[in-house]
Amino acid sequence: MKACLEFEDILRINRPEISKLREIGDSFESVDQDGACEAFGQQVQLLEGAVIQCYKIAAVVARKKGGDLSEVAEVWEQMSQFCQLALEELRSLKNKYPHCGTAQLYDRVLDYKLAADKRLQAVQEEIECEKRSAIPNGLFPDPS
Amino acid sequence: MREEVGDPERLVSRSELEELADLFDRFEFALDPLSAKAREAESEFENKVRQLFSSRIAPKYPDLGLSVFRCGVRTWCRRFLQKSSRQ
Repeated sequence: MKACLEFEDILRINRPEISKLREIGDSFESVDQDGACEAFGQQVQLLEGAVIQCYKIAAVVARKKGGDLSEVAEVWEQMSQFCQLALEELRSLKNKYPHCGTAQLYDRVLDYKLAADKRLQAVQEEIECEKRSAIPNGLFPDPS
Repeated sequence: MREEVGDPERLVSRSELEELADLFDRFEFALDPLSAKAREAESEFENKVRQLFSSRIAPKYPDLGLSVFRCGVRTWCRRFLQKSSRQ
């Protein structure tokens, strides 16, 4: 039997990178403490890698889902939520750690969230079109 | 049976749709959605969809909007890419 990972599993594996950012951020009273920016910046890089990697997997999974539009929508929605969680942590920490790569990562994650949202919105429109049978029969050939 | 390129029965030929599917693949499923290549492919896709719509679809289906036509093309591309990657 083949064991298959769902996209949700991939996100679950990567979610601790978000909570670790908070843990490391809270473990220092100030960014001026020895090693604070270094430790925080290192976690910023790990979280950036996690977001980029999850996005790549989302794109591959969405492609494999093909015409199953509701499943495609679910993938992009999960990706968007993952980015949102990261953004919320970054937003609350970027004042405390303004020069440790925080602002750059915030912008990057926001870009990835917008990319996921755009794909989610487009596939939701496709679902609506299908529900309304809006495309005339025979306009397109069979895709097979 | 697959129709050939230029099939007079089709407003949009299979080869045109396959070309759109290639562009769609390059932006919708780009591993880096922020890359210039992805943005260029999306822009080209959009231009081609608009051109097809205004030159051939709108005259024959005046009640069909561009957004609905775009939806149909996108869904066709998804299914085509899924099926062609299985072969």
